[in-house]
Amino acid sequence: MHLTQDLELFPEYTVTQLLFKDVKNATELRKMAVNGEIKGALINPSMVVDAFQILVAANKAIHLHKSGKMKTRSLYSEIIFSLSPTSNISEAFKRFGISDSDSAVLIVLVHNKDETLNIDNIISKVDGQQITVDRVSDLNDVAKIKKLYKVAPQEEKCGSLLDAVVCRMATKDVA
Amino acid sequence: MAHTDSVKASVPSYLKEAQMIKQGAEARVYRGTFLGRSVIIKERFPKLYRHPEVDEKLTRRRTTQEVRSILRCRRAGISAPVVYFVDYTTHCIFLEDIIHSVSVRDHIASAQASEQNPQHLQTLADKIGEILAQMHDEDVIHGDLTTSNMLLVSGAEDQNMKLVLIDFGLSYISALPEDKGVDLYVLEKAFLSTHPRTETLFERLLKSYSASSKKSSAVIKKLDEVRLRGRKRSMVG
Repeated sequence: MHLTQDLELFPEYTVTQLLFKDVKNATELRKMAVNGEIKGALINPSMVVDAFQILVAANKAIHLHKSGKMKTRSLYSEIIFSLSPTSNISEAFKRFGISDSDSAVLIVLVHNKDETLNIDNIISKVDGQQITVDRVSDLNDVAKIKKLYKVAPQEEKCGSLLDAVVCRMATKDVA
Repeated sequence: MAHTDSVKASVPSYLKEAQMIKQGAEARVYRGTFLGRSVIIKERFPKLYRHPEVDEKLTRRRTTQEVRSILRCRRAGISAPVVYFVDYTTHCIFLEDIIHSVSVRDHIASAQASEQNPQHLQTLADKIGEILAQMHDEDVIHGDLTTSNMLLVSGAEDQNMKLVLIDFGLSYISALPEDKGVDLYVLEKAFLSTHPRTETLFERLLKSYSASSKKSSAVIKKLDEVRLRGRKRSMVG
């Protein structure tokens, strides 16, 4: 049910995404991410258009991690920061990370190809229902996404919302 | 040291496997797969003939200008390829591959060769004028307007033809009518030299530009002035 993908630029890594709805223990999960019990990025699905958006963020974060140019302190926080259209780190965590009152969570894991990942371990920690990642469109808030990424109706003439979001993520540092 | 090597290795080793489709003086262009999608990678390789510090600064500036202009165009609804990733260490831009498209250059050439339907080319000229007007109204100067840098996406009917602008490598932001006039002049020169007997077609393009742009009269005036300059032109006022 989870989604596992490779990164062509970093063939030694694999990215796995897990999506959960009706989550009842967001507070606990947050604590586990902070203390390292869950080694992954916990993302608010309401701001996610498509799994591709997460891949683009992960790709950028891993690139910056490998070149020693991350703006945040860990790979996982960098993935969350890469999703944001602005350079304000705390704002990025607030908007894209999960809060105690959230009832849905998207977990992103990055691991070496040779490592075997214990996915069931992570799934067992979440008090919620796992759904396929392509159903993130059931959980997202398109109006909120358009507002935060500042996507005007005219931009949709030349591409999808996903295109607009990904383009901003990729060009954030210079735009 | 091994760590740094592996750090630097990722994009270049990826490019070794990708298919190079063009090499220019400024950059090499590849086609590859990125996150499951077909992409174009533009690599601004180091220029050994330049002083290294100057080269680094200039290359970085060109990369950021290109990326900024693309975003600015898209925000205004002007079709340009989506930017997926920029590697500032190797100055590579990973862009959307516009598949199922043909350059306007090839399209005009084949339309002229087969001599069918002149009305179709008129519509094309209208569309080009329109999209350039929109771009200049956003104060984006393309810098290298040629029919090879415009793609026509196949499939749509005449009225809905989709034009995508590419290669923003020499682009910059400017509100000056002079810069916009020069932009059009570059296109005129490229257009007329690449496509013989297209003077009336280009006239139509300019008419469409004037009709679609709010600030066109100043720009056309400058275009006329610029035409009087240059090689083999008498600058007798």
